[in-house]
Amino acid sequence: MTLRRRLVDWSLTAALIILPALVLRASLARGTPSALDEALLRLTAPLETGISWVVEGIAGTWSRYVALVDVEAENRELREDNERLRKQLAAMARRAYDTAALEDLAAVKKRTPADTLGARVIGAPLSPQFRVVRLRIDRGGREVAADMPVITSEGPVGRIEKAYGDYADVVLISDPASHIDVVIRDPAQAAGQAGGARGILKGLGRPDSYACTIEWLERQGGPATQSRVKVGDEVVTSGLGASFPAGLVVGKVTRVGGDDGMFQSVEVKPTVDVSRVRAVMVLLAPPPPPDPDAKTRRRSEAAFGARPL
Amino acid sequence: MRTATIVLVAYLMCVAVAALWRLVPWIADAIPDLGALTAAYLGLTARRQVSPAIGGAIVLGYLIDLISGAPPGLIALVLGLTTLVARAVQQRILVRGAVISVAFSAFVALIAGVLAYLVRELYRVPVAPFAVELRHVAGVTVATAVVGPLVWRVFRRIEAAFARTHREREAALEGIAP
Repeated sequence: MTLRRRLVDWSLTAALIILPALVLRASLARGTPSALDEALLRLTAPLETGISWVVEGIAGTWSRYVALVDVEAENRELREDNERLRKQLAAMARRAYDTAALEDLAAVKKRTPADTLGARVIGAPLSPQFRVVRLRIDRGGREVAADMPVITSEGPVGRIEKAYGDYADVVLISDPASHIDVVIRDPAQAAGQAGGARGILKGLGRPDSYACTIEWLERQGGPATQSRVKVGDEVVTSGLGASFPAGLVVGKVTRVGGDDGMFQSVEVKPTVDVSRVRAVMVLLAPPPPPDPDAKTRRRSEAAFGARPL
Repeated sequence: MRTATIVLVAYLMCVAVAALWRLVPWIADAIPDLGALTAAYLGLTARRQVSPAIGGAIVLGYLIDLISGAPPGLIALVLGLTTLVARAVQQRILVRGAVISVAFSAFVALIAGVLAYLVRELYRVPVAPFAVELRHVAGVTVATAVVGPLVWRVFRRIEAAFARTHREREAALEGIAP
């Protein structure tokens, strides 16, 4: 190669190296693509799209149809994991539910002025309509006895019907054999106080609901202040009969029946959803009667010893 | 014509790699620098005149700038300089055989990475923290070293297709620079 051709070649090389340097400086100064850039991009875009389409198509085919060797084993593992996690979840949910029920019972025990014993529900025979007709608890004849009241934080559940071995059966308040002395809470009175019409709550024994009735519900007050019971009125235990403590909310009036001028007949829906009860409290002894002299009684003076001067 | 064909094939390979590498994000940092490999090949196989090789590398660099979103001229300048480095190497050592090809591919990728960093620093184009740049250059170097011999084999086939004599064709397939 002659010297002249070599000089031309190296000059051209230098010019070619300087060209992109200038282009770079200009593009950085401009900040946007030049017309040439845009034209080239427009020209090459279909080519890039085509190549990308082919490559992604091949890769997609590979991943969807060919690379499925371990999918079956992975699927089996995932199913097993899923099964295990479902069981764990169910156990946790059950434990959480039991904990909530026990917390409720602890709260009930604190505010109930009677000796109580917590019990876990271990069985609940159902009616053909999937209604609970009895409860079986894990306390036997050594701890509980027949006719002891059974309550939850929501209200009364029923009474012990019989106790045998380590278990006891509870007859529900919705059973016709159940009788509870109740009063209709007078809306005019403060919450917790019961001073309305009184009656005996009996279960209706319906296979498809837990409805109860109050038969022979006496009219309130004298003839001048007579008023009828209304739907929605709250029914609470009266505390009479030495079984349930007074003031436990039993349910709400859902229907008002016959009124012969002296007695009314109403239907009550219990507040306790028996199908969801997991733990209950058995009242071992009736609450002590209130002491009427508690605030007025004075201590007698000591018979012996020093007295303050 | 030979240079233009190599540049076109290299450009198509760059687009294919760009499409393919999106599907394997776990090796996103280790992208083979096909531009540097092509520029090095053009520099290594430059015949008497070096300017056509430089021109081809700059055109390829410019196209890569456009598809990669880099400021136009950046990779073109880097590839032009890489071609010069390869040309300088060609006059001293013979790049032949798998081991030397792998080593030279890694060297080329490293040189291109360092040049790109220097050019960006020179032109105040934002750069990543040095550790990140270093990791990127290392990944690119390894990936380029792996694919380098394959890419050059493709280029030698093209070279052979453009050979005018049987001797030139054999030399091209053997990887001996003319």
